[in-house]
Amino acid sequence: MSANLTVMAVALLVWGLVFVYLWRLERRIKDLERK
Amino acid sequence: MILRILLFLWLAAGMVAGFTWAPVVPVLGNTTRVFYFHFPAAIVTTIAFGWSMVHSALYLARRDLGHDDHAAGAAELGLLFCIVATISGSLWARAMWGAYWNWDPRETSIFFLFLIYAAYLALRAAIDGTERRARLAAIYSCVAFVAVPFLIFVVPRIYFSLHPDPLLGQRGKPDIDPRIMLVATWMLAGVTALFVWLLSLRVRLGRIERARQEF
Repeated sequence: MSANLTVMAVALLVWGLVFVYLWRLERRIKDLERK
Repeated sequence: MILRILLFLWLAAGMVAGFTWAPVVPVLGNTTRVFYFHFPAAIVTTIAFGWSMVHSALYLARRDLGHDDHAAGAAELGLLFCIVATISGSLWARAMWGAYWNWDPRETSIFFLFLIYAAYLALRAAIDGTERRARLAAIYSCVAFVAVPFLIFVVPRIYFSLHPDPLLGQRGKPDIDPRIMLVATWMLAGVTALFVWLLSLRVRLGRIERARQEF
């Protein structure tokens, strides 16, 4: 696999992790808003 | 929820297009790809600081703490995107100019911008009392934003800079491959939407925090 594709895969992985974190954070905020 | 998934796919598609579809600029080689992260981060930094100033002014006019949440959140996020722009720019500088930091006018400008808004957050942290903190921070934010256009648009044009000028040629048309321009604009739209999402989370957290304090 070329270096370019490796960097792209890392960028996508990081973005995926950030996205999941934000999604979970939003769910937590929704729970707090309901209480 | 659909909007969130769309945003995820939008930015993922932008990254894939940047790495596989858009060509590289011959002089820059593979480092061209840094542009798709550096450019949106730098633009969103300016938008965030502008947003912070607008809501600071609105707070001073209406005394609604919701505007203070927007102002503080936008400044925090602006600082975050400023760090992303600085780090990506500095990695690019290492590849193109041979050093991570060169005290180039653009680098110096963004460093000052960072200090100005880091001082804003320090000011907020140092003041007790919600109303007093919101009022003083709003005044600071309005004054601080005066420096933003000067540091971003004026200083780099007065002094010689290694940093390339905005991507417009002499006839006002983009001086760059249209595919690169398309991916950069695509990423800018996605990162701006990400900023809006992050800001909404921050504002909602601020509201919860205030409600708990009052309770």
